[in-house]
Amino acid sequence: MAETGAGLRVRGLTKSYGDRHVLHGVDVDVAAGELVTILGANGSGKSTLLRCVIGLERAESGTVLVAGESRTSQPTSVAMVFQKIDLVGRYTALDNVCSGALGRLSGARSLHPRLFPRSLREEAMACLDEVGLADRAHDPVRRLSGGQQQRVAVARALCQRPSVLLADEPVSALDPAAAEQVMGVLARIAHQGLAVLAVLHQPDIARRHSDRILGLRSGRPVFAGAPSEVDLAEVDALYAVPAPRPSEDR
Amino acid sequence: MSILLPDRPADGAPAPARRLPVPPRPHAGRAGVGLAVVVGLLVAAHVVAIRQTEVSITALIDGWSGITRFLGDAFPPDLTWDTVVRPGIEATITTFWIGLLGTTLSIPLTVVLTVLGARTTTPNAVVYQVARAVMSFLRAVPDIVFALIFVTAVGLGPFPGVLAILLHNAGVMGKLWSEAVEEMDQGPVTALRTTGAKRPQVLAHAVLPTVVPQLIGLLLYRLDVNVRSSLVLGLVGAGGIGFLINKSIKLFQFDEMLTYILIVLVLIVVVDQVSGAVRRRLAR
Ligand SMILES: Nc1ncnc2c1ncn2[C@@H]1O[C@H](COP(=O)(O)OP(=O)(O)OP(=O)(O)O)[C@@H](O)[C@H]1O
Ligand SMILES: [Mg+2]
Repeated sequence: MAETGAGLRVRGLTKSYGDRHVLHGVDVDVAAGELVTILGANGSGKSTLLRCVIGLERAESGTVLVAGESRTSQPTSVAMVFQKIDLVGRYTALDNVCSGALGRLSGARSLHPRLFPRSLREEAMACLDEVGLADRAHDPVRRLSGGQQQRVAVARALCQRPSVLLADEPVSALDPAAAEQVMGVLARIAHQGLAVLAVLHQPDIARRHSDRILGLRSGRPVFAGAPSEVDLAEVDALYAVPAPRPSEDR
Repeated sequence: MSILLPDRPADGAPAPARRLPVPPRPHAGRAGVGLAVVVGLLVAAHVVAIRQTEVSITALIDGWSGITRFLGDAFPPDLTWDTVVRPGIEATITTFWIGLLGTTLSIPLTVVLTVLGARTTTPNAVVYQVARAVMSFLRAVPDIVFALIFVTAVGLGPFPGVLAILLHNAGVMGKLWSEAVEEMDQGPVTALRTTGAKRPQVLAHAVLPTVVPQLIGLLLYRLDVNVRSSLVLGLVGAGGIGFLINKSIKLFQFDEMLTYILIVLVLIVVVDQVSGAVRRRLAR
């Protein structure tokens, strides 16, 4: 378990939409150098949790600390990779990766890819190399396969120089080989010192690649531990259909 | 075979298709009443409209001799090069310049109105409402009314036509552009926000590259429309071929007028074809 220091520390995160309570005081710790995956059924609040951590949604209560300090004081410290790959299709892979650095650029030179400083382009090349796509730098991303695009998205997140990387179902749209490749990249990045928190729908992939697994059920963590400690029945129980309660019958 | 059609009896005779009674459609009766009311209102509206606009077959028949005389005068078109065709071509080109300049010069104003008046890019609700109101106003005032105002202000000639098209087009194109911006996929925008990018950077790197092909398509469509309206503006003194057509009608030189109309036809077909071809290429 993460103690203090670098990494992500989430405490008591609560979120509801109207009177639907989605998160009930969720605690998560991800140490630097660790890949943690969240498993949970559809609607259990996994995406909401990540969106609250990165600030796309405002949580009602709870704290999000990155390296011991509030996330809001360091806006580029958390990066996110989405299931639906949100790259700019007309931009090249390299330009998409460069745009991950926009948070630390300013002025007119940040407004067009041609004007990006050379140092940034070289850093972006290194990020692309990290995900094994240096040879596709100048291809428009719409011509890359889904797995390649997802790796470009990971490279863009790296170019942001975050200390925490969130990934919401990064491999759900990918074939098994591409999924394996992307998860391999995420695990390697984690072991280089980032705190990586990924939502997955594939318990077997989670077991193979993560350092710890967190089970989320109806907005509450129900188990957490190393893959070897988590037993299969607990994972299956996450996806079990709850017995219909009479009050909910229509 | 047997997997696909498990119901088929062994002797090969087709099984009777399964049927179920169709449940009655909810509110079926009320829909009929609604339709009758709508048709009734439409008929009534047309009756009133015919009265108010004095549509009359007899007036058309009485005026028939006038129309034939007019057509007789118009044919054959006057194809004198020096006094009709050359000035006609020159004026038609002026008409095109009016449409082109009006469209191009309206781009900066349109960009501002688009960014402020699209729900997804506006800085706040007040600015959004103001931008929307400005666009509605510019759209509501026809370009010919703007032209009449500018002719009074800056005098006869093509310049008031350019100004008129500039203003009206900013209203129309601002609406089209801001709708294109609002409808675009917000994924890249959200993704860039999470990198800590600021508003102008998100606009430059997520919104712009995604919508620019659409915006250019709409721009060409507006150029097409504006070239045609600059012709009408000529009728109220804003120069170009419309001015010559107006003059030839006033002097009863209908053969000259026909020549002008034929030249205009060529211009409009050319602009339509070129902008259509470019838009098709962009759509790919
Ligand atoms: N913007 C929203 N407005 C209202 N309710 C929402 C909103 N976003 C999510 N919810 C609700 O919050 C609950 C959790 O949604 P969330 O997207 O976090 O689930 P998830 O665990 O990511 O599911 P999935 O596996 O399907 O991605 C759901 O019941 C959903 O209906
Ligand atoms: Mg989700």
